[in-house]
Amino acid sequence: MGRRFDITFVYDFIPKLLGFLQITLFIVACSMLLGMVIGTAVALPRLFRIPVLQRVSRIYVSFFRGTPILIQLFLIYFGLPELLKGIHLDVTRVPALAFVILTYGLNSGAFISEAIRAAVSAVDRGQVEAAYAVGMSGFHAFRRIVLPQAAAVSLPAFSNLVIGNLKDTSLSFTLGVMEMTGKSQTLGLATQHFIEVYLSLSLIYLAISLALERLFALAERRMRLHEPDVGVLRNQ
Amino acid sequence: MIQVRGLTKSYGKQKVLGHIDLQLQKGEVTAILGPSGSGKTTLLRCLNFLEKPNAGEIAIGDVTVNCKGAGKRDIHKLRQKTAMVFQNYHLFKHKTALENVMEGLVVVQKLLKADARARSQLMLDKVGLADKQDAYPSQLSGGQQQRVGIARALALNPEVVLFDEPTSALDPERVGEVLEVIRSIAREGITMIIVTHEMAFARDVSNHVVFMDDGAIVEEGPPQELFGSPKEERTRQFLKRMTQEWSYTI
Repeated sequence: MGRRFDITFVYDFIPKLLGFLQITLFIVACSMLLGMVIGTAVALPRLFRIPVLQRVSRIYVSFFRGTPILIQLFLIYFGLPELLKGIHLDVTRVPALAFVILTYGLNSGAFISEAIRAAVSAVDRGQVEAAYAVGMSGFHAFRRIVLPQAAAVSLPAFSNLVIGNLKDTSLSFTLGVMEMTGKSQTLGLATQHFIEVYLSLSLIYLAISLALERLFALAERRMRLHEPDVGVLRNQ
Repeated sequence: MIQVRGLTKSYGKQKVLGHIDLQLQKGEVTAILGPSGSGKTTLLRCLNFLEKPNAGEIAIGDVTVNCKGAGKRDIHKLRQKTAMVFQNYHLFKHKTALENVMEGLVVVQKLLKADARARSQLMLDKVGLADKQDAYPSQLSGGQQQRVGIARALALNPEVVLFDEPTSALDPERVGEVLEVIRSIAREGITMIIVTHEMAFARDVSNHVVFMDDGAIVEEGPPQELFGSPKEERTRQFLKRMTQEWSYTI
């Protein structure tokens, strides 16, 4: 497909693609924020064993973990407006970007809720009892004792989710959103140098993934100062 | 000054504590003895509502709580009168020794940070860990962790300190240092209730001994009486077995 491979196009494409990096990062940031809110809301019924809601949570998580994100994108982009028509809400003017963020938010919310659940369960119950015995309220015990430790525990999982989310956003071009991958399509079509475009694109994704990985590793080291045995396996 | 009346606790159908009455004086050190499953730890945990009693009344200092309708506010008041030292220390793992002791002072008692720090350093000094204030729990031995646990409880200046088998999880080598700390604070006239399996220690340090079996108090009295001439057959049996345990000949 296209013309002969020419490496110089890569130098040309990278800055052009980088111009759309902000949209990609915007989708990642918004959907992860949304995902954290949803993830917390979904995790709570299962952590506190609230009868009906915990079943709803489980179904929610199963659905978003068990179906491809591309299908979820289509379902929400095409299906949700139809559904909303039923209650006379017209969303045809809402930009596709909003649907993309919503989908990725719902999707990462499912994964984040599982990470939260695992992390909170990892903090032993005894410390909560100690907090109560000292006179702390349930809120204070959660906020000051459980949350900081759970956050540290969940950081590696969260780091994976953010990087996964970054790569998944490349699918949003299917709804016509002009982020980096969307731009690569037009660049490829215009120049017929597809391989160079995809090479440039993967270099950018790789660089950001690596940067995020380093950032999270650093944050983890800071948050787990109290566990000198973190990294024991690495050093052996 | 600590009064328990008609305290009962059951898990489902299984009765763990049946109608406990107990009265303890200020400045008194009470040891609660009894076989495993006798309900002694449950009784201790009911006093600060880590277990919710089904019925009865608990009075500590000027706070009286009827267990049946006890709300958050009652529980909070009761917990502010008590402090607890746990079998497995239960230190806050993400906080240093000093921060562990400060936590309750800053968050619950709303002390200024500087005041809380000064008071906490004093307490760590009292348990012999002034030089470990910046260590995290994972960097401390079991005995040291338990001493931080004791400092954390004492710092709150509670009406009563509840000890839940404070040496059961320790290496035999480390038991002594913790008992020594408890002994020294007992001398200061701090009211304490200690659930323990250390018979010699209980005899030595307490003013009052309570023997429990099967969710009820079998016998109570001053240590020389209870250890020297127990009235109940069940107490005799238990004490005989417990003292035998320490006199194996190889």
